[in-house]
Amino acid sequence: MKLRGTILFLAGALAALGAGWLGFPRVIYRTQAQPVDFSHKIHAEKAGSKCDDCHAFRADGSFAGVPTLDKCSSCHAAAMGDTAAEKRFIEQYVTPQREPAWLVYARQPENVYFSHATHVKRANLKCERCHGDQGSAAAPRILVENRISGYSLDLLSMDACIACHREQHKENSCLDCHK
Amino acid sequence: MKNTRRDIFKFAGGAAAGALLTPVPWRLIKDSSLWSENWPGIPRPARGEIRSKTTNCALCPAGCPLRARCVGDQPVALTGAGCAFGVAAHHLPYHPARLRQGPVEQAKAALAKRTPSEPIAVLDLNPGRTASWTFRRAMAALDGTYISPDPNPIAYDLHSVRTVLSVGAPLLEGWGTPANVLAAREKFYLVHAGAVETPTAMLADEWIRAEGLPDPLPRRLLENGPSLAVGDAPGVAELNRKLGAPVYARPEAPVPDAWKKQAAPVTALDAVPARGLRFLLIDESSAVTYIPWHLIEPKLASDAVVITFAVSRGGYARHATYALPAPVFPEITEDIPAAIDQTTQVFRLAAPLVPPPPAVVNASELVAALADIPAAAALRERADFIHMQSPAHPTPDAFWQALVDGYIWRGSPSLPAQSSPTQPRPAHDLPLTAVPAPWTPALLSPLMTKLYEESNLRLPPNAVALNPRDAAALPSRAVLQTLHGKCTVRVVPDASVPPGIVLAGSSPGIRDICTHGDGAKVVLA
Repeated sequence: MKLRGTILFLAGALAALGAGWLGFPRVIYRTQAQPVDFSHKIHAEKAGSKCDDCHAFRADGSFAGVPTLDKCSSCHAAAMGDTAAEKRFIEQYVTPQREPAWLVYARQPENVYFSHATHVKRANLKCERCHGDQGSAAAPRILVENRISGYSLDLLSMDACIACHREQHKENSCLDCHK
Repeated sequence: MKNTRRDIFKFAGGAAAGALLTPVPWRLIKDSSLWSENWPGIPRPARGEIRSKTTNCALCPAGCPLRARCVGDQPVALTGAGCAFGVAAHHLPYHPARLRQGPVEQAKAALAKRTPSEPIAVLDLNPGRTASWTFRRAMAALDGTYISPDPNPIAYDLHSVRTVLSVGAPLLEGWGTPANVLAAREKFYLVHAGAVETPTAMLADEWIRAEGLPDPLPRRLLENGPSLAVGDAPGVAELNRKLGAPVYARPEAPVPDAWKKQAAPVTALDAVPARGLRFLLIDESSAVTYIPWHLIEPKLASDAVVITFAVSRGGYARHATYALPAPVFPEITEDIPAAIDQTTQVFRLAAPLVPPPPAVVNASELVAALADIPAAAALRERADFIHMQSPAHPTPDAFWQALVDGYIWRGSPSLPAQSSPTQPRPAHDLPLTAVPAPWTPALLSPLMTKLYEESNLRLPPNAVALNPRDAAALPSRAVLQTLHGKCTVRVVPDASVPPGIVLAGSSPGIRDICTHGDGAKVVLA
């Protein structure tokens, strides 16, 4: 009788562990694909583009972020290759002048102030340091979004920021990032 | 084997223990807390490209150059303003007291029924603008009257004097162009005459704690010339004439000759016959002054139609037949007239930073439409005329673009003024002298209201401050009475107010019955 009780207890624990580790992530996260099948790899290898050719700093030092359609249209007013992705992009966005609704992997909460200029221009950090190998990926990653909080799974956490700052001996006060 | 309730509890206990070893509870706690950051009702900052736009503030004739920090097209901060009102001017379009809708069609219908013999007038509370010239042209076409609070505005040259006597004027707190006044301040000796302890009184070299023109005059004023007296008190204009003070006619930027030929003369309200107006249109959308209603009301016929173009219900909308919603700064392109301390012609624009609500009415366009004169491009026409007179830029388009971007055109100096003497005040037996708070725009950012009024830095609008001796027998609520009417007010005892003085707030009710120096008394409600 005592053994039966132990088995039931362990069965319950195993069921919860299975549901928690395997089922829960599938429930709490939803995935979204980028609107355009954009290949950083092709642009880097064939067009020789650098990160800051499209993700540029403005004259006032602020970071422009995701490029607008104007930037894309300057090269893709007509098809440059024969891929289906490019053809679809031109038909759906360039010709009707419709801005693609790009999904942002690293959008920070509203109470966080992050300056690309400070990190890239002053600290000379490479883009890959935070964004990983996104710049050489053949296809855009799927955005994994938390259903409750609404934030991306790829969001850089405050712990990561603090760890890097501590490593670089650049520890700051709360108000440096939280305005 | 039959499952018992005990078995279910054992399984559930195991599941609970197992769940603690999964990310479920910890993830749910963290995500729920993150979700609560985006609770409905929590303001969400605008997202978009950070840009800067330059313009000029149109809240008063100082016209401070502004740099607007915009996220996308939304201005989120203004820098460059010389006062607290300008710093928060981008809040005004969203003010809860903003007039957004009004009986526009009914007002137009009432105006359409007017016969040519019925007297019509426009009261312009910010004269000197291009819109003012549109009003004048329209009134000339309609055989109407253009009324200005001050038909002969003057300007003072603070840079050419060595002594200044300020007779109750808030010289160092929004009287003129802040940068210009502060630059000139280093060169002149300032004597301030005023009963109330104001920032100007505190920053003056000499403070004479009395209302009105001091008697005898300060020796320094007579011995350390050139000297100048500023203020609205009786006797100031005559004193300036005696002193040979640098007082000029308020300069106005050039206007096309065709406009001058077709414009109605500028008329003072006093010159309008009693009960002589059947239609009165009041443009208070960018008012820089206020005429108490007791001075306007006697000029209206018994069946007069009063139409006001207002940004809030706090001004003449309380008395008007129709209150029409008007655009507020920074919603439309408008020019800014010269300030009281500017002695050369200036032409500058306040460019829009946000679009106006759909229901607002532009006063000058409505009045121009009545007279069937073109006014939509009047600003551009004037700018082209100025460019033709003195081409500072290669093309008219380049000049216009520079103006839209905040460029200030400066022309020729003004001519000496021929100011009229101030009218003596009527005799009265009221024991107190009224000193109203300085004029403020019709709408103030709620942020400024919080800072100034709730922190007691500024007298609340519906309050009067009295010396504790004068306020001793009064309850917290009383009635302020002048020769022009009564108003219920809150009484604030204030030892910094000298006996015999009543420092009055700037509520519309108080402004309607009292001007600087009026006799007053505060009695039980």
